[in-house]
Amino acid sequence: MENKREILSVKDLNKSYDAFKLKNVSLTLQAGSIMGFIGRNGAGKTTTLKSMVNLVHSDTGSVEFFGMDIKTHESEIKQRISFAFGGVDYYLQKKLGTITNVYKRFYDQWDEKAYEDYLKQFELNSDKNVKELSQGMRVKYGLALALSHHAEILILDEPTSGLDPVSRDEILNIFTDVVDSKQASILFSTHITSDLDKCADEITYIKNGEILVSEEKDSFVDSYRLVEGSMDQLTEALKSIIIGCHERRGEFSGLIKSKDCENAQDIKCSPADLESIMIHIERRA
Amino acid sequence: MKNLLYKEFKLALHPTCYIFLLMAFMLLIPNYPYYVAFFYQTLGIFFIFVGGQANNDVYFTTLLPVPKRATVKARFGVIIIMELAQIAVSIPFAILRNSLNPLENQAGMEANIALFGLVLMMYAIFNMVFLPMVYKTAFKIGLPYVFACSAMAIFVGVAELSIQLIPALKTTLDTLDLRYLPQQLAVLIFGILVFLLVTTLAYLKSATRFEKIDL
Repeated sequence: MENKREILSVKDLNKSYDAFKLKNVSLTLQAGSIMGFIGRNGAGKTTTLKSMVNLVHSDTGSVEFFGMDIKTHESEIKQRISFAFGGVDYYLQKKLGTITNVYKRFYDQWDEKAYEDYLKQFELNSDKNVKELSQGMRVKYGLALALSHHAEILILDEPTSGLDPVSRDEILNIFTDVVDSKQASILFSTHITSDLDKCADEITYIKNGEILVSEEKDSFVDSYRLVEGSMDQLTEALKSIIIGCHERRGEFSGLIKSKDCENAQDIKCSPADLESIMIHIERRA
Repeated sequence: MKNLLYKEFKLALHPTCYIFLLMAFMLLIPNYPYYVAFFYQTLGIFFIFVGGQANNDVYFTTLLPVPKRATVKARFGVIIIMELAQIAVSIPFAILRNSLNPLENQAGMEANIALFGLVLMMYAIFNMVFLPMVYKTAFKIGLPYVFACSAMAIFVGVAELSIQLIPALKTTLDTLDLRYLPQQLAVLIFGILVFLLVTTLAYLKSATRFEKIDL
């Protein structure tokens, strides 16, 4: 898979509900990368992901996979991608083998050998029912299905939610292995920022239905600094640039843009991480 | 379509659909409203959708690389197969009933060819009311089933009353007398045509609705 090739392009997606709006959502995914789609609950992550695969019909905007519009090439695109809500949560009473036997018939590129290998690698038993699998194993089963039909893009809605830290780490390691071995690119939503610290190349941050930023993770993290100091250091000038200021017992803390650091001299500035960036941005009214 | 039908039978079809096929034995009851034996299959079809909800069938299916319309067509396919199977399984029981007990059915229509035509019309009404209503939301299934059952009950009531109260219909349709075979075959053919036409319309309406909804 050639790097830096645009394989997914979302442009100006809009969708209005009574109580929620998706506003001009745009993002692009490059081949060979992991994009973390981050935002708090209800920010519009799932609606955006569903719009990408036509489960939700956007009012305006376009979604292109491999240069093809999802509205006109849906089946062709779905042969080459995989979409999952967390882990496999369908047909819980059925054996994995039964589900796979149905699923594989739909994919031209199905690779039985690869599937068998993934079952072994993920320690999945095809005689078990889905309901007998832990949440982490369900995610792995979904990945086994997706990778066995050689999906080039995996779109996963909160695959790590509800998993224990060890299972989360396992899943994230699988993500990096998949991308590093150039099998697929991954776009996954999460509100667990440490997931992204571990494996994301790019970050897309959505708030109230609007994309705040979509860029490389490192440059995004580097564009903010945490500041803290005593209340007498909190000048009006500083107040105007500080994000999510929190005041307690004569002290303040907050976030500023790195470029504003020169306006915050004599204040303790420290590198920010994704979690603190998210918390401060969300704290801002 | 072959793969989707395979999926319907392997994953979606509720086991009660097979069990309800056995309800055809009710045609052996000497005096009984025989429509009931056929009604059970609509309950089985309702259970397919109930099971579908519990198993997130809509997401599993719509994320497969197939058009949304095709998933509706496959579901219609399995429904039509089960409805026709219900009738097919009933035929030997009807023959058996009539040879074992040639006495008149006191509780309604005889188990004859005209009955099968009327049952096809009843299934057509069920398909037209239930399925487009279900595919309007893809998750509300209770109320559509209540409406569909009501529509079927009204149809059966009107059909039975007409046949019992109108002598010409009573004589020709509610009988095992082979002299009236042409009239009864006419009802069967009319039933087949109504079933095909109405079910096709129900499919078109359902598919269009399902394509529009957000999941």
